Amino acid sequence: MSPLKITARDATTGPVVEITGELDYASATQLREQLAALSLQPGRRLVLDLAGMEFCDSSGITALLAARTQALAAQAEVALAAVPGNTMRVLRIVGLDQIFALYPDSDTATRA
Amino acid sequence: MDVVRRNNVTVTGNPHGPVVVLAHGFGCDQNMWRLTVPALARDHRIVLFDYVGSGRSEPSAFSEERYGTLDGYARDVVEVCEALDLRDAVFVGHSVSAMIGVLAADAAPERIGALVMVAPSPRYIDDDGYRGGFTARDIDELLESLESNYLGWSSAMAPVIMGNPDRPELGEELENSFCATDPEMARVFARTTFLSDSRDDLKKVRVPTLVLECTDDVIAPREVGAFVHDAIAGSTLVTLEATGHCPHLSAPDATNAAITRFLAALR
Amino acid sequence: MMCRIGQQPEPQDAGGGRTSDAVFAALLEDSAEELYEFAPCGYLSTLMDGTIAKINRTLLDWLGLEREAVVGRMRFTDLLTVGGKLYHETHFAPLLRMRGEISGIALEIKQADGGRIPVLASSAVKHGSTGEPLLIRTTLFDARDRRAYEAELLRGRKAAEEARKRAEADRARLQEALAVLQQSLLPDSLPTVPGVEAAAYYHTASPDRLGGDFYDVFPVDGKRFAFFLGDVCGKGPEAAALTSLTRYTLRAAALHDPDPVAALTTLNKVLHERYAGSGDPRYCTAVFGTIEPDAATGEAAIHLASGGHPPVLVLRADGTAGYLPTPGGLLVGVLPDARFATAGTTLAPGDTLLLYTDGLTEARVGEDRTSLYGDDGLLRFATGHAGRSPHALIRALTGLLDGFGDGLDDDTALLALGVPTSSSLSSATRSH
Repeated sequence: MSPLKITARDATTGPVVEITGELDYASATQLREQLAALSLQPGRRLVLDLAGMEFCDSSGITALLAARTQALAAQAEVALAAVPGNTMRVLRIVGLDQIFALYPDSDTATRA
Repeated sequence: MDVVRRNNVTVTGNPHGPVVVLAHGFGCDQNMWRLTVPALARDHRIVLFDYVGSGRSEPSAFSEERYGTLDGYARDVVEVCEALDLRDAVFVGHSVSAMIGVLAADAAPERIGALVMVAPSPRYIDDDGYRGGFTARDIDELLESLESNYLGWSSAMAPVIMGNPDRPELGEELENSFCATDPEMARVFARTTFLSDSRDDLKKVRVPTLVLECTDDVIAPREVGAFVHDAIAGSTLVTLEATGHCPHLSAPDATNAAITRFLAALR
Repeated sequence: MMCRIGQQPEPQDAGGGRTSDAVFAALLEDSAEELYEFAPCGYLSTLMDGTIAKINRTLLDWLGLEREAVVGRMRFTDLLTVGGKLYHETHFAPLLRMRGEISGIALEIKQADGGRIPVLASSAVKHGSTGEPLLIRTTLFDARDRRAYEAELLRGRKAAEEARKRAEADRARLQEALAVLQQSLLPDSLPTVPGVEAAAYYHTASPDRLGGDFYDVFPVDGKRFAFFLGDVCGKGPEAAALTSLTRYTLRAAALHDPDPVAALTTLNKVLHERYAGSGDPRYCTAVFGTIEPDAATGEAAIHLASGGHPPVLVLRADGTAGYLPTPGGLLVGVLPDARFATAGTTLAPGDTLLLYTDGLTEARVGEDRTSLYGDDGLLRFATGHAGRSPHALIRALTGLLDGFGDGLDDDTALLALGVPTSSSLSSATRSH
């Protein structure tokens, strides 16, 4: 059980946000607030790097969807990198694997 | 609910003797009879209890509606008599309890065979041609003082009473609980007591009755004793050389002697 | 702790012994008589019957009475208000007799002009050489300040009491409102479906009992019944509002067109339109289906669609069980045009369809509560109970949920629909 930690950096493709720890009901608001503070340019890509994410519940999924809505509103793209196996299983059940661009890691996500 | 527990009923004395029920008045509980019990215990079965809202009665049984009338308290008496299946008991009531006894004897004549009314008053407030001892303003002030002297009634009564080596019969438990009063329930009892007018009820009395009054009662003046005596046909009036409103405490020997004489004459 | 202000030396340091000598001399001027009369408290001596024998000036001044009117003519109780008299009779005097002394009793004395002074009274009985009580000595302290303080406490207590009563009434009203709302989220009981046995269970994890899971069974036409079960995102009142919207949308949509995909599509449109633009995306997962019993064959045809919901389970009469996969169905309410996965099966006598929410599979199990019960755990459990009636299955699952203890921290809804074997009667109830 580790608290949520969010760090953002800039890549050539756009912002990369690393999410480590647990993304749940208690911490999802934190992610949504930090994402809302990001400025996204049209045509850029917001990459959410989930390599260090240990847990994600439905509130976390909601936060990811909010990120997607935000990116689309800015005419930017959104991508998930290094989705952990368990979260991937949930994304498949709820059909979100079809609507998020998925990359094995943040390097490949920022290359294209 | 179990009435014996509800009214903190205590039975003592001679189990084969005739039954005497001792009923406390406003602001007290059954401990007020502690100097009376020893005088009667040898020959009588003695029943003590606390009205709901007083002493160690069950607080959850209290309702402002029931105990807003003297009939509510009289029901306590009848229910205690029923719970113990008492018949022809002598009911000794102090102050307002004397009137509660009148109502109970009327409601359950088979249960109560005689009345002893200690410092009774059927009406505390002066009325046309009647002197009860209090003006309406006095009573208003009294009821108000129950509100404003809340801490006085609830806790100041409680100067912690140390053991009394001269009176070993007074156990510490008794002393600590002496007339403990819940102010909210006491307020209801006070309204019921001091605003009631039971003068007409006196005519209902059909049982042998002893009226005990004090020469110097600060609550009920002599006129009240005479009024009660006149209103109850065949009643006996005994005037005790005593000051105050609680002759069973201030003049226990004279009070006990008068009660004992009356009880002996009943047999 | 001593606090000295400035640097002045204390008086005795400056004046040698002179100042304290002067103070002591002044004290010598004070007679015991004067101290008695003008002490800052009232003094009173009474005979044993209360008749006042001696009284000091301070108390006479408080009372506004002359000595001649009091001594030998009045009793202690005559100085008291009615309440004080009564209290004196029932408490003060009996205790004094019992103990020989009493202290700190709150009383009120009456002034000649009608005023009242609250006092604290203490009394002690003086005994003669042979031990007989001779008289009662009483001191009275002015307690006006203390009474004002008590009155303040009492006011505070009353205010707190009133606030508490108000809060209790508010809470009762709120709970009533919650109960009504709660009832609107779940059916009171399941309808009787001819040739089908239905059973349901709802476990709520929220203290205000406003759940985020939902289910329902209802007739749509002469032949078919519709059923659904799902899970809305979030918790609390917002989730309950979404649940309510979802439930009634699905019911209305099904009456218009009971096709599962059509019903979920309608719900998707409603949710997306309601929440997508709000910056607060809200969605749900749901399985919606129809069941059509066939009296001739004794079987029931199931058609269902799933929007992002875990696959339903089918338990067969022969003791086998398996998931009915619905891959690719999307969460309901996320996208303006969502795709939903469909599936179908036929229930023969003894077969049961189980719908559940992920509170069941996401329950944390094991000694340290770190592993999830999971899809495999549920499949094993279902296989062990295949062939049982829907009621028996729900009862077993309720026991399983209870066994999770605090490992189950989410709402969980269960709905089982089955075709009874010929030996059992069809019925419909809901267990709690």
